Amino acid sequence: MLRSLLLASMIALVTTESSAQAKLNRGQKLNSDGAVRIYNLVGSVRVIGWNRDSVAVRGSLGKGNSFHMGGAAAGMKMFVEGIDERNPAPADIEVSVPMRAKVWVKTATASIEVSGVTGSLDLYVVGGNIKVTGNPADVNAEAIDGSITIVGSPSWVRAKSASGDVTLDGSSSDVTISTVSGKIDVDGTRIERAKFESVTGDIRFAGSFERGGLVNFDTHSGTVEVGIPAGNGADFEVASIAGKIDNRLTSTRPVAGRYGRGAELTTSSGNGGTRVVIRSFKGPVTLLRKD
Amino acid sequence: MTGDTIDEESLRDLQARTAKLPREIEPPADAWAKIKAEMDRTRDIGQGVRASRVIALWQRPAFLAAAALLLVAGSSVITAVSLSRRNEGNDDVTATRSSGATDRPVASRGVAPATFAEFTLVENDYISTANRLSAILESGESQLSPETIAKLRESLRVIDAAILEARRALAADPANKQLIEMLSTSYSQKVDLLRRTTEMGRS
Repeated sequence: MLRSLLLASMIALVTTESSAQAKLNRGQKLNSDGAVRIYNLVGSVRVIGWNRDSVAVRGSLGKGNSFHMGGAAAGMKMFVEGIDERNPAPADIEVSVPMRAKVWVKTATASIEVSGVTGSLDLYVVGGNIKVTGNPADVNAEAIDGSITIVGSPSWVRAKSASGDVTLDGSSSDVTISTVSGKIDVDGTRIERAKFESVTGDIRFAGSFERGGLVNFDTHSGTVEVGIPAGNGADFEVASIAGKIDNRLTSTRPVAGRYGRGAELTTSSGNGGTRVVIRSFKGPVTLLRKD
Repeated sequence: MTGDTIDEESLRDLQARTAKLPREIEPPADAWAKIKAEMDRTRDIGQGVRASRVIALWQRPAFLAAAALLLVAGSSVITAVSLSRRNEGNDDVTATRSSGATDRPVASRGVAPATFAEFTLVENDYISTANRLSAILESGESQLSPETIAKLRESLRVIDAAILEARRALAADPANKQLIEMLSTSYSQKVDLLRRTTEMGRS
């Protein structure tokens, strides 16, 4: 339904063309929980949630850029089009949206910054960086070589990058973060279901787990450091094929791996209650107490 | 439910109802007395009569009582195994978004292969999927810049090196389930990276 509305509304797109660098100032009505799709290849996209049922777009367009915007109260779409698709001029746009809006942004190298939105976010960049601040309902952020930073407490997070770093500073009940060589850095509380995986990127977790949860750490050769407060209950199952396990959290010592190589550690902190599974091929694993 | 087939919803309902059943049921207080009386009576009939009635053994109350107990025990075991497998499936923390969409390719969903033989089948699936996605990227359908393609290739090289290292370790230690799980994760990351890049390059 929403897609049909968007497609139909595209017929009535309003276009702004820029022969030189031009200022942008446009607005349109949107429902408080409406959907917004933004597409800008190069430059920057800044999305701000506000307490109005409308969308306002400000910014500057590079030479030769065209800005298109259209849609209805349930959903709208805007995009920047360059004359030269292979080498577009940068456009910097700031979009104010209803705070409960569902926001979708896609760029190439343009950075994306979102703040104050409590609806769902779908953010895609190839080489730019993504930064989310606030408490959106859910965040799906994907990059190829850009970094992703989330500061706040989305209830659902999926963040993936290849060579870019991913940082989560806040709390969430359901998290998956994946990188290839990028570093994963989490300062999180109330983590209930989570998966942190890298190939060579280091993984650092400092925070607390929600009781009854399941948290997985997987890496091939990155370091894994997990630090939790003394009272936080967790049941750890750590296995490394060829890496070292350093337990500074409890008094249990690692033992030789069950397949005749590597090391394994099974230990509980506090009264247990959250299953924490850590697997590493050859990266060192460290369990720490962080108060 | 039709014939021998059962859909997942019916199965779930059946399992839920079966799980509510008591693990043990005490027989009626006078059951053993009746069974014993019946056994005594049939023994008194004599060998000749017994020989003539051997065909109807399955109809005897004692046999039926034992069969009933076996049936209850058997169905409990099946239910326990079935529920256990379902719980194992739930251990995969890859949850779904509120919209219900999964965020992983088919090959990586569910529980990791348990044996080397199972893994080789899944590995073939991963390799063919990765090859197909690589071909799309190489074909020029993608609109990614050469710089992005170079960075993608570097990330793929990192994953391939990890796969190769773990694959060699698995060849020397094929029973190592942890290695199988790690390799599955690496393949899954490769396919996922290719899929994401392909999708981004298409727009």
